[in-house]
Amino acid sequence: MKIAALLLLGAALASAQMRVMAKPGKSPLVTFRIVFTTGAATDPPGKPGVAYLTARMLADGGTRDMTYRQIVDALFPMAASVNAQVDKEMSTFYGATHVDNLPDYYKLLRAMLLDPGWRADDFARVKDEAVNSIRVGLRSNDEELGKEVLYQNIYQGTPYGQYDGGAVDTLESITLDDVKSFYHTQYSQSHLILGIAGGYPPTFVEAMKKDFRSLPEGAGFHPRQQQPKLIQKTRAVIVEKDTRSVAFSLGFPIYVTRRSADYTAMLLAASYLGQHRMSTGVLYQQMREKRGLNYGDYDYIEYFPRGMFFMEPEPNLARHEQIFQIWIRPVEPANARFALRLALYELDKLIKDGIPEDAFERTRDFLSKYVNVLTRTRSAELGYAIDNLYYDRADYVETVKADLAKLTREQVNAAIHRHLRTDRLVIVAVSRDGEALKQQLAGGDPSPMTYNSPKPAALMEEDKTVEKWPLNLSPDNITVVPADKVFQ
Amino acid sequence: MNWKFAVMALAAAAFAAQAPQKIIPYPYAQEDLPNGLRVVTVSTDFPNIVAVYIVVQTGSRNEVEAGHTGFAHLFEHLMFRGTQKFPADKYNDTLQRIGASSNAFTTDDFTCFYTVFSKEDLPAVMEMEADRFQNLKYSEPEFKTEALAVLGEYNKDASSPFSKLEETLRDTAFSASTYKHTTMGFLKDVQNMPNQYDYSLKFFGRYYRPEYTTILVSGDVRSKAVRQLVDKYWSGWKHGSYKPEIPSEPPQDGPRSAHVDWPGPTLPILTIAFKSPAYSDANRESAALDALAFLAFSPTSELYQKLVVREQKADALFGGAEDHVDPWLFQITARVKKPEDMDYVRGEILAAVKAFQEKPVDAAGLENVKKHLRYSAALRMNSSDAIASSLAGYVALRRTPETMNRLYEQYAQLTPDDVLKAAAKYLVENSRTIVTLTAGGGK
Repeated sequence: MKIAALLLLGAALASAQMRVMAKPGKSPLVTFRIVFTTGAATDPPGKPGVAYLTARMLADGGTRDMTYRQIVDALFPMAASVNAQVDKEMSTFYGATHVDNLPDYYKLLRAMLLDPGWRADDFARVKDEAVNSIRVGLRSNDEELGKEVLYQNIYQGTPYGQYDGGAVDTLESITLDDVKSFYHTQYSQSHLILGIAGGYPPTFVEAMKKDFRSLPEGAGFHPRQQQPKLIQKTRAVIVEKDTRSVAFSLGFPIYVTRRSADYTAMLLAASYLGQHRMSTGVLYQQMREKRGLNYGDYDYIEYFPRGMFFMEPEPNLARHEQIFQIWIRPVEPANARFALRLALYELDKLIKDGIPEDAFERTRDFLSKYVNVLTRTRSAELGYAIDNLYYDRADYVETVKADLAKLTREQVNAAIHRHLRTDRLVIVAVSRDGEALKQQLAGGDPSPMTYNSPKPAALMEEDKTVEKWPLNLSPDNITVVPADKVFQ
Repeated sequence: MNWKFAVMALAAAAFAAQAPQKIIPYPYAQEDLPNGLRVVTVSTDFPNIVAVYIVVQTGSRNEVEAGHTGFAHLFEHLMFRGTQKFPADKYNDTLQRIGASSNAFTTDDFTCFYTVFSKEDLPAVMEMEADRFQNLKYSEPEFKTEALAVLGEYNKDASSPFSKLEETLRDTAFSASTYKHTTMGFLKDVQNMPNQYDYSLKFFGRYYRPEYTTILVSGDVRSKAVRQLVDKYWSGWKHGSYKPEIPSEPPQDGPRSAHVDWPGPTLPILTIAFKSPAYSDANRESAALDALAFLAFSPTSELYQKLVVREQKADALFGGAEDHVDPWLFQITARVKKPEDMDYVRGEILAAVKAFQEKPVDAAGLENVKKHLRYSAALRMNSSDAIASSLAGYVALRRTPETMNRLYEQYAQLTPDDVLKAAAKYLVENSRTIVTLTAGGGK
């Protein structure tokens, strides 16, 4: 009887226990990443933005004992901060302090996460910031806007179908009670991963665990997952605004995450086609280096927001659902259709011809070393370790290296065949004069390029195919939407 | 708590390991080659990784000829176009094989090329870098194509109202200084770049010379090994002869203003700028203006707390003067929530400026700024790459990392009187430019 009771208790604890990722080291800095495995995918129906506002209230608001001003003043001499990042399945709080200030910093961090003040004036400010970050932040950044509209369109009708930061009208209707209720139900021990790295004292982790046991136990982690609807036919969304150039993002769901057997093969394929912000990718070489179409062109198999600001992806954006995505940086309007066609032509070539042998080896060598770069800071190392826990996988860097060592070109080409395609896409353009672009995209007529300098004969020959590349779009499946209506 | 003692012991150990007073946490070696090239090596204790930052003291400040703005930045691009020995393909393939992270950036005062890689690849990187600095070769068609990528870069930035605000501020505040144009250059010059192949060769011949260049190496490496590689690959580089005549900005004779009608939706933005002095660590003026920026306009300031937190009239407020070789701008920017509050916010900022000119800052507040500056440097310099990146800007100013140590020594000595004097001397109406941006014309 006693044993059975203990076993039962053990089972209950297993579902409610917080998890810890501790990486002690000699550094005089201590880095925190405190992750709650809940986020925008758990926003209450009709209220996108609740998860976002909750995290912002904790990071940018007061505690029960201290006003926001007092917190800002206390953090200032330490040059420290508590930052929040909200994605579909994770709400992350991160920051770092010099070990000199660890006791004082942790006291603030603890109070901010465990004893929030919920003041109405903090809420008004945080809400205004959230609304403005859509109205004048996102909508003034054509590239980021295009990417987020792409995600929203692909995932419409699923828990992923709203922007992480919410929507203008719903943000305005969210109340402080909505946010408190989200905190009390979602910020539980069973959703919690405590991450710490650096030169903290040996007893620190136990003390921290004890503090966070004041959170409700929670009912275990159940991600709200729903696969996106099948894309029957390629469709396009043109986000219309007064802007100089045309920014494209396009993609479709792929059923590959860090848990999948094909992950590393697809990582290599994506790196070959368009490694983020590097000049080595096929898209970059063909579109920018040879043709001068724009500033750069890349592709992704995982969500990578804010790519124009970051050379490497930020951790703790783990998702159970991912899309394959091509990012075409702004092109001159006259070349927009050609650029889109060229990207699809290159994608098609990759699928049909696969990766050439020498490029396969080169990309494999690159990734084998480059993965080290991803975890070069303590904060990133800690973030990746937390993501490993979440995906229930072994060390990211080591397993990617081990996979790469075994990987063959044939396996990569087979994975490309399984997961990539050039039909049934969603294409998003951010552009002025949406109707004109719509007509262009729907028309099957050629869009020849003219160059300001002589090009090699082979390129000119290739262009003859590219300029006629079918986009498979008709006026029926192209929507024009004014920028001030998206995420409204 | 009992762990507090352990923390203090560890902290003491950490600080004992570095030289007292110096903000750079590691010693460095600095050497000059006979051709004028300078080499700085910082041996850190972060394992395996080495960062090479090559700083060329040429930025948009050096663009002295009309119609040719944006060329320093254009060379940031052209430098990746390859040489006879390492054509662009081979250069990229090699960097890809060694898994290096490599890029470049341009500012008003300098251009910086950086590569971060595993230590065993240092010889390969040094050879390729030396080759492209000495033997860069690009054809006219390649040049024309690269110029279009620069236009693409202009285009991707153009969707932000802050880019337009910055262009307008510079154009209004400066008349003779080359800071009149942004690093990207005037749009008409960017659009005309494809026709400037011959000028580009001239520009490269002037500035890509050893006397303008410092090689900054940071990481798991010793200075002797670096010097040997530099001697081997860089000693044949020829010293140049060009010295630009960079025009001085005449004193401003009264307040100026400009307005931008932004074609799309935006919140109103207000920027108030005052002419600030060229960077100096020989006196405490630059340091004092940096401290003033924190005390008057950071989230911990009274003005921020009033406008952003309590009254919530603005959703962003920041201010300060970045270090520049020539006199630049101390700039205060606010994003205002409602157009009708623009005058109020402007009045509050000007009143705060006046208050800092009349009343010395609180000594305890100033001590907090000093602490903030030191901890923020310590937190930032958390990898070999981050150390090189932090030092590059200081190397660009005075060609030595010691610049950073000197500036932080000036911070340490700051008094409330220094801040008062700097505010009174520089934040004056006669040298002021105000630019506003509101949603207006267009569709």
